[in-house]
Amino acid sequence: MDCVATGGNVKVLAKAVHSLSRIGEDLYLEPLDDGLTLRTVNSSRSAFACFLLSPLFFQKFHVSHGRGFRCKMPIKSVQAVFRSLSSLERTVEKCHIELNSEKSRLTFTLHCKHGLLKTHNLSFQDCESLQAVFDKERCANVLQAQPRLLVDTVLHFPPSLEEVKASVTADRLLLKNHVENDADQAKAMRTELCLSSEEFLHFSVSAPTSITFCLKELRVSDGVLVFAESTDLPVSMHFDEPGSPVVLSVTDSVLEANFVLATLSEDSHCNHDNGHKKRPRTPPPADDFMCDDMDSYLIAMETSEMAGPSSRTEPRSSSEREQEEEQRPHSKKFCSFFFGSVLPTSSQTANQTLQNQDVLASDSEDEQ
Amino acid sequence: MPLSTRSQDGDEGCVLAAALDNVRNLSNILKAISFKDHAVFTATRDGLKVTVEDSKCLQANAFIQTDVFQEFALREESVGFQVNLTVLLDCLAIFGCSSAPGVSTALRMCYNGYGYPLTLYLEEGGVVTVCKINTQEPEEPIDFDFCSTNVTNKVILQSESLKEAFSELDMTSEVLQITMSPSQPFFRLSTFGNSGNAHYDYPKDSDMMELFQCTKTQTNRYKMSLLKSSTKALALSCKASVRTDSRGFLSLQYLVRSDDGQICFVEYYCCPDEEVDEE
Amino acid sequence: MKFRAKMIDLGCLNHFTRVVNTIAKLTKSCVLRLTPDNLYFVLSGKVANGGVSMWCELLQVNFFDEYQMEGLSPEANEICLEVAPENISRALKTAQNAKAVKVKLTKKHCPCLTLSAELPSLSSISRVVTHDIPVEVIPRRLWHEFKEPTVPDFDVSIYLPPLKTMKNVVDRMKNLSNILVLEANLGGEMNLKIETDLVSVTTHFKDLGNPPWGDSASQSRSQSWDPEAMAHARVDVRKLQQFLIGQQINPSKAMCNIVHNRIVHLILLQEDMSLQYFIPAVA
Repeated sequence: MDCVATGGNVKVLAKAVHSLSRIGEDLYLEPLDDGLTLRTVNSSRSAFACFLLSPLFFQKFHVSHGRGFRCKMPIKSVQAVFRSLSSLERTVEKCHIELNSEKSRLTFTLHCKHGLLKTHNLSFQDCESLQAVFDKERCANVLQAQPRLLVDTVLHFPPSLEEVKASVTADRLLLKNHVENDADQAKAMRTELCLSSEEFLHFSVSAPTSITFCLKELRVSDGVLVFAESTDLPVSMHFDEPGSPVVLSVTDSVLEANFVLATLSEDSHCNHDNGHKKRPRTPPPADDFMCDDMDSYLIAMETSEMAGPSSRTEPRSSSEREQEEEQRPHSKKFCSFFFGSVLPTSSQTANQTLQNQDVLASDSEDEQ
Repeated sequence: MPLSTRSQDGDEGCVLAAALDNVRNLSNILKAISFKDHAVFTATRDGLKVTVEDSKCLQANAFIQTDVFQEFALREESVGFQVNLTVLLDCLAIFGCSSAPGVSTALRMCYNGYGYPLTLYLEEGGVVTVCKINTQEPEEPIDFDFCSTNVTNKVILQSESLKEAFSELDMTSEVLQITMSPSQPFFRLSTFGNSGNAHYDYPKDSDMMELFQCTKTQTNRYKMSLLKSSTKALALSCKASVRTDSRGFLSLQYLVRSDDGQICFVEYYCCPDEEVDEE
Repeated sequence: MKFRAKMIDLGCLNHFTRVVNTIAKLTKSCVLRLTPDNLYFVLSGKVANGGVSMWCELLQVNFFDEYQMEGLSPEANEICLEVAPENISRALKTAQNAKAVKVKLTKKHCPCLTLSAELPSLSSISRVVTHDIPVEVIPRRLWHEFKEPTVPDFDVSIYLPPLKTMKNVVDRMKNLSNILVLEANLGGEMNLKIETDLVSVTTHFKDLGNPPWGDSASQSRSQSWDPEAMAHARVDVRKLQQFLIGQQINPSKAMCNIVHNRIVHLILLQEDMSLQYFIPAVA
């Protein structure tokens, strides 16, 4: 592979790498006829991201290794090539990426102002293909917004928060922090945010639903949001029922980025939902705000009988417990992963859809 | 104490008395070399030299010339003492580090000689702070014996381009390798980190290059951990001179212009790393 | 018990936010007392929180456009809640350019102070964010613990210098020592001192003025105090540092009462609020 990016596209490339670094540790790089793919997955395999930079993105794009060459390397080392994002635009005129598979070296050469030449020779490992299985085109619900809307939305939720539940109806999106039913969490602040469909560029909900995903990963996908903002491109959110992934994507004529996040699966989701239903439902906040009738909101409370909230100790599914015992850093309740589709190099095919793979492997331990 | 009383007891027994209208002119430059707690102050007729050393392999000297001070009175040929630099910097910044225009802290410092504390009088907006910092006998600085007649290669660069390189250095590399050569690659900084190597090449005709005097190809390695501590001074500077002598010793000199246009120098000497493996 | 209030004015919202942010820096948990005229944030000195205590009083009419409450009973027309001010602070942070903010006492999964903000949006329909802040309702029998502290019988009372300057000095002194000596006299002079093996630092403030306390009972000791003599107290620097974060509320008056070797009583005043903070002296 031998390709050259120039001007503003160097920064776009750098931003892509930085946004991927917020998800995974390794960058999987695969040159294809239809462009250069950059992919990563997080350690618990509940978030995956992929950039496809088309040949037109580059001033020069040449794939000489034929099909099937792929490699991975620590993202940090690629990030180091583009360390100071802020000065990149001012200083770098051209970025040359060259792959030498014999020496197992990927060389980034940055041609900078004042004749300064920065050469980074990175070592890499051969690897299997990394591809999550998702089909955003078949998702029942598609929302599209300016990235700022989503960035602002995420800001309302405290950074310590783990999970957030998004509910859509025909005309709005409601986000809530997902609170577990144990004592610790009872003291946690709960936040709800309601966005009207009118705030979106496109709002098409054919199957009203509620999905729960890691806020951490949505923050991670800040990557995609920041990326979208800097390139001034809208972000689309494709999703279906609980348990199937949410896909955040940014597309323009020369690139496509997809960030795929696992959501809480149907089983555990239902459990939690029941939990919610046991509680007195509060009116939806949009109406809540409009209504100024004092009595409908003021509650009668006695200082003497401030017992804790009613029973909320339903048993949790075994998969939840298992996940907790493993002490996973993230997404402890995401028992269903949408991954597992790692093709061994030997049996690789050019087929990107990987239909034969075990697409919903419940075991997430199959990491290399 | 009120300003009137301090002048008296200050000037009476003071071996060294110096005054500055704006303490930032001193504190900025001292901050740049505060990679170790202990600093040796040497005052001579030329001004103040502050020396900080690390591992017997790196020495930093900040020179604050006499004319940076509004007053600089020295009773003896030369006066030396050692203080804790971190403590001194906290004292100098007692009124905060605000760079708001029109707000500045005035400083008067006195040293009465061996065994006495270094006394600082700081004043801002009518509020006075008096600091007495304990001093120790100065340790003899290492003599790197770097003399300009033995210089093999020398370049002077505008700091801007070097700042960029230093801020991006791969810290997983144990060494920074500097190549200076009359031919390609002219002036090269290299690192050898966990994930690969990186080379930064500055052509000799770059408009960042103010002077290029390389007589012989020389490649030397210096401990990254040592050189990294020169980054803060580099960040303040506008010009940088990089020199190596026949033994491979490195001299980095940074020219620092203060807020009000005064010029100071910070100089680093560094021994080459002993193990040089052939690549 | 019922409580509901609404804030529309952005200036009030910002002011309220700064007050709550300051409180959040001073304590993890405190009592919010609501009465028909005032809101109070109260921390009563317990050994567990280092013996410091706090009393912050806000005049509700100056902050809220609407304010309705019904206390425990007509005779005890108050509501007393334990709350984490950090939660209110976080909720307010997301409401920064709100068109309106409502605060209500609600019963959700537990008793909550529900703060909802109507935010500007990209469409004609407002964006609404709602935060349910869990609170604990404090039973009447414990209310006596959260009464306004009496002004101690101080030796010296003095106006504080500009808090920003004082904060800078204390922040630096914190780097050098854990204990600071605060001293002042009736001649308008105040000193901040630290002393360690390496360094001694003293910052001298003068012409600060001493507040006139009139005939108040708390004057008895200061009347017999030698006007030149310094009343002093050794305090934990961190506690003074925390209090000085209160400089962000930009008080019109800031003062300090010292009971020699016993206590430092700090007061920030504004027409619509006051904040008092008590730091015990250490040996």
